[in-house]
Formats: sequence, C-alpha cells, structure tokens
Amino acid sequence: MRITGVKTTLFRTTSEQRDRNAQGSAGTSPSHGCVIELGTDEGFVGVAICSVAVPAQLKQITDELLTGEDPRCVTGLWQRMVNASYRGGPRGFVKAAIAALDVALWDLKAKANQEPLWKTLGGARPKVNAYASGLDIQATDAALHDAMSAMAKKFGFRGGKLKVGLDPDADLRRLGIIRQALLANTAEPELMIDAGQYDSPKQAIRRVREIEKHVDLTWVEEPARRWDFLGLKRVSNSIRSAVCAGESLDAPGDFLPHFQCHALDVVQVDAASVGITGALQIADTAFGFELPVTLSRSPGNMHAHLGAVMPYCMSMAVVDPVLLGGVFTGDVRIEGGWAVAGDRPGNGLVIDQQALAKASGTDAAAGRVA
Amino acid sequence: MKITGYRSELYLMKANRAVGDANLPDGVDLLPGSILYIETDANITGISLGFGGGSVKTLFQAIEGADPREVVGLWIKMNDWVHKAGNEGEANAALSAIDIALWDLKAKIAGEPLWKTLGARAGRVKAYASGLDYCLSDEELFAFYRRMAELGVDSGKLKVGLDLQADLRRLAIMREALSVASARPQLMIDSNEYWSPKQAVRYIRQIEEKFDLVWVEEPARRWDYDGLRLVSQQVAAAVATAENINSVADVYPLIANQAVDVLNVSALHSGVTGCRQIANMANTYGLPVSMMNCQANFMAQVAAALPNHNMMEVVDPGREHCLKFSSRIEDGYIVLGDAPGFGIEVDEAILAALQKNPPVGKGRFPFPRRDGAARYIVPPAPGEVPWRRGP
Repeated sequence: MRITGVKTTLFRTTSEQRDRNAQGSAGTSPSHGCVIELGTDEGFVGVAICSVAVPAQLKQITDELLTGEDPRCVTGLWQRMVNASYRGGPRGFVKAAIAALDVALWDLKAKANQEPLWKTLGGARPKVNAYASGLDIQATDAALHDAMSAMAKKFGFRGGKLKVGLDPDADLRRLGIIRQALLANTAEPELMIDAGQYDSPKQAIRRVREIEKHVDLTWVEEPARRWDFLGLKRVSNSIRSAVCAGESLDAPGDFLPHFQCHALDVVQVDAASVGITGALQIADTAFGFELPVTLSRSPGNMHAHLGAVMPYCMSMAVVDPVLLGGVFTGDVRIEGGWAVAGDRPGNGLVIDQQALAKASGTDAAAGRVA
Repeated sequence: MKITGYRSELYLMKANRAVGDANLPDGVDLLPGSILYIETDANITGISLGFGGGSVKTLFQAIEGADPREVVGLWIKMNDWVHKAGNEGEANAALSAIDIALWDLKAKIAGEPLWKTLGARAGRVKAYASGLDYCLSDEELFAFYRRMAELGVDSGKLKVGLDLQADLRRLAIMREALSVASARPQLMIDSNEYWSPKQAVRYIRQIEEKFDLVWVEEPARRWDYDGLRLVSQQVAAAVATAENINSVADVYPLIANQAVDVLNVSALHSGVTGCRQIANMANTYGLPVSMMNCQANFMAQVAAALPNHNMMEVVDPGREHCLKFSSRIEDGYIVLGDAPGFGIEVDEAILAALQKNPPVGKGRFPFPRRDGAARYIVPPAPGEVPWRRGP
C-alpha cells in the first residue's frame, strides 16, 4: 500500500461549550480545525482531526516525506518526520502537522488490518477511566451545575476537572458544584484542577493549599510553565495532590528533565502534540518510572484506543461525550464513567462530508488545500 | 481468532564452535534450546525461540482463549498475573517466550514481516561481530572477525578481563581482521561482570591508552548503578549493560542514576513488548540500545523498529540446526526478508532427531561465575585457553 497524497479541509462549527481557561477567558473554539484525509492507492483513507489549521505544513510534509511510502511503516515514518524537522525541532505548527499525520497513518494501518486501532496497537478492548473536562471558565454557576449534573447522570462520570486561576472564591465554590454533581455516582469523586500554566510556582502553591483545606484534589494540572521542571517539582513538594503536566510539551525527549527531577506525579500525553507514536514512547517511559499516565481530550475521544496499550493508564479527559458540531463521528462510547472503544476499523473517526462542506464555507474554505 | 493451545519443545544442540568469556574462558559448545509454539483456532502458529521453560503452563492460563492480536494487553495481564513473586526468573522467561510467540502470530495474521507490524520502514539492522571468543586461539579469532569483515561488518566486540597483555594483543588482532571493512573499525570489549568498578577503571584506562573503545560491557554487576556510573565517569568509552536484567522496571535505577550509556536488550527483557518499553524509555533519555545475539538473529525483526537502535550483536556459532530462515548479512547489515512474522520455520524432523539422540559436548548451564570475580583476577591456567599454552 502506498500513500498518494493528503486532502485538508478547514472547518468551523459553533459549539455550546468553548474551551476557555485562565490564559484566555475569551476562549478559543475547539471546533475550529482541520480535517485530514490521507489517501492511498488501495482506496483506504486515513483520517485525523487537527485542532489547529496547518494545511501548508500538512501538504509539504506529506509531499516530501510520506507520498509513495507504505503507511503500515508508521513508527519509522514518524521518526522520519521528526528527523526532518531536526533543526527547528518538532515545535508549533510543524509539531501539530506531524502529530496529525501520525494519527492518520495509524488509522490506515488499522484499516489495512480491518480492525479497530486498539487491536492494531496490540491492546485488549480498552476500558479507560474517563473524567469530565473542558468546562467553560465563564459558564455561570447554574450552567456549570446543569452541565455537570447531566454529564454525571448520563455518562456515569466519577471525576471532573475545573479550569481555575482567576478567582479563588469562585474556584472553590465551583469545585463544590462539580463534586455535588459527581456524588450521584460515587462517594469520593475525583476532582482535578487545571491552572493552564497561568501561575508562578509560589502562586500555585498558595492557591492549591487554600483549596486543599476544603477539597481533596487528585491532581493540579500545569501549575507552572510546561518546561519549568524545577517549578513543577517545587509545587509537587509543597502540596498534597499530584502535579500533572505534559500535554503541551513537544517531543518525548522534552520529558527528560521532568522524569529526571521527578517533576511530574502524573504524566499527561496528547497525540495532538506527539502523535500516537510519541505518546506510546512517553507512556512506556512513564511505566519504567512507575508513573501513571493520563490522556488529554481528543477528537471523538479517540485516545481511548491508546489507553489499551499503556500499562499505567490512569484516565482520560472527555469534553464531548457525544460529539458537537457534527463534522465527524467517533466510535468511543462513554458508559458508567468508562471510555470504551468499538469495533469500527481504524481510529473510528468518520467524516460527514455534507456537514464538512457546510462547515468549511467562506473564509474557512479559503485555506482549503486539495 | 483465539489462542487454543501451546507446545513446548526442549532440546540440546552442539554449536559449530565453542563460545566463552571471562567466566567461562575455556568455552562451551553444548547449548540448551527450546521452541514454544502457540496455536490458534485459525490454524496459524506462533513460534518463539529459547527460554520457554516450565512456567509457560502457569502463564498460559492468562492468555488461553484470547485474541493473539491483543498481545500488549496480554503482556499487561501476564505481568500483573505474576505480581507477587515478580516478573523474574522462570516466570520472566516464560512471559518473554509467550510474548514473542504472540507477536509472531500478530504479524503472521497481518501477512507481513514483524518489522513492518512494528512500523519499521525497512527490515535492515546494522550488525557488529561478537566472537564470544575467550576460548578461541589467536588464529581462530582473526579468522572469525575477518569472515565477518568480508560480510561488511566493521565493528567487533572482544571478550576480555583475565589477562591485560593478551587482551591488548587480541584487540589488535580483531582490529586488523576488521580493517578490510573499515579504516577505523569500531571496537568494544566485554568483561561479563568479572571486575569490581575500580578494577574496571584501571583495566579500561590502560586499554584506552592504545585503543579507542566504543563501549565497555558489564564493567560492574548488573544492578550496581553506583559502580556502573563510577566507571562511566572515569573512562572515555560508553558503559553498556542490562543484558542480564529482565524488564523496564530494572532499567529504572540504571537510567535514573545515569549508570548506563548503551542498553543491551534481548528477547529475555520481557519479550518484544518489554524490549520496546526499554527502548522507548532509553529513547526519552537520548540513549541508544543494542540487541543481543540470538539464534538466526531473529530479534533483528524487533531491532529494526526500535527508534534508537545502534547495532546488533552477531555471533553465528552455528545454532540453527533445526531452523529455516531467510535473513542474511550483507554490507554489514542484517537484512530481513518479507516472510511473515519472525520468518523462522522449524524443521520438525531435525528437532525430533536432536531430542532422540542428544549431541555430546561441553556444556555448563546455567552459566557460572569465575572465581576471584570482583576481588582478584584469576588468569587462565596454562592449557585452559588455546592462547595460553600448557606446560
């Protein structure tokens, strides 16, 4: 099987929930993105959804490094893409493009085997501990309550994560709202907060200690800058809860100082940053260091497939238990608080071409690359 | 597809020549062999070479009836299964053998060589020659490395540790033999845990006055991360180690304490899955890994797909009596074919004959440690090795 080329389609959909954290309370939309369709000479199409629009990088990398190659050789191709970016490193747009292409390549490998991705990776059917995430920092208390209660009731979540950082009193009050909603499913809800790299380490320590007087936290996410392993370590040494970070790092090697200095208590990986290939490398490293791994949010909750082969997979973030926007569908169900992947071949992402055509209108279509 | 059963065959083989090191300078030529077959309801059988002893029966309960394509999930299940006593010893050998046979199955089901199943772009692995040669005469030593050099192999690893002057002489012989492949052959030495850390530093520094060494292997005990780090800090060569540990869990203290520069990995590192875990952990730290020697070089299938593999050990003492395979060494690389799985088939008639009439030879397994280790060096006695003549 040979790769013949890539088709990228920018799209924009309006969504009820917007991804807003302490860094940008005005928010960015998670549903502004790019559909990637990697074509082959055997008719299989590899699909990935990229949350940033990088059509130029996707086309260049595909033309120069992937076209004519066998997509089943995906780990070698990931290395080839990373090596080609050696000088500047796999950062920024290049990172996003490599990661998305790696997801599409794995999709092809699984489709060639006519099996779901979790099986191609070698996993038993995944049952990944899911938690509710991605709640709008600006949602009103009532809206937060309604949304969380609905999520808890319908999908059985036992854990929830709040974006915090701008108003300590509100953060504490809203953690209480989440906890209350989750009590429907468990006597001990797992509560997490995400500071989004907004605080200095000492600010984070003060903030978390205050919260910990009232609430037991499972982890604090990104309580210092992503590269500041000394700051992350310092926070970990000064609070009870675990420090979690990693989704914003660019490559497995960037985790070296974090592992070496024991700066992380929970290692977070995201295929949108490091591809599936890089995510599995980091998960194996974490296993060697006896550290649990958590998976970030993912389009169609596709990360559930990866959890199947991570020996120390702790949990994964779920923003949309059912998909908003309608440009694509996935094959991961959330039931009883667990993410369970189905049997659809590949990663389960299927593009609704009609909806995509509608969502890629006007200015979005200007960036379209055929 | 379901796993339905297994069969384990043990046998003895006599190698074409003896192999030896600092602990067994006189060498052995009788080697234990084992083949594990894992059967499925689709009439496809997975094969694993070596190590599949009695504990397979215990662990098989964990995988019976499962889909072999879920091999990583089954690895996790087996690793949890042996939790209390640990993934060590016999359990580790069985877990490793099962995992290897399952990966063989996974690739065969996909109808492709394992290197492709694992995602590699090519079935090609750089080789280095390793004579396991303490028991070889100087002439035999030259002949082995020259034969390898004529296949394009430009790197060699000498067994050392008991006699500095002899080791220096034989390093020069190895380099000369390899010089037809490269003007600057890569030289390695291996003392198989015979020295204490400071003995190692003294010995290696004297060698380094005359030779540029790429790595020194097992210059201290396998678990002694302080000692290994001490050696690494005091010699120019990289410290290679890990061949005698079992899993990524054992690699943790070595990597975290900066005790290792090159990780030796093998089928016994908890199978293909375990090998990949170790390589991935090493890769995060920017460390290379090197695959150990094995029958028919079958683990080259795995090495080809590791992101940080440097070169694989090739001994070629003649251990493939009952095996059919298509890999070959060409231009210094192990070149793998397109046969599905590991690309190994068993000649059942030869296997049965070996079991019926076991060969006679010199064997001492499990391989023992030599007197004096880590305290004082006991040089080969006259006549113990061909290069130290009897009285």
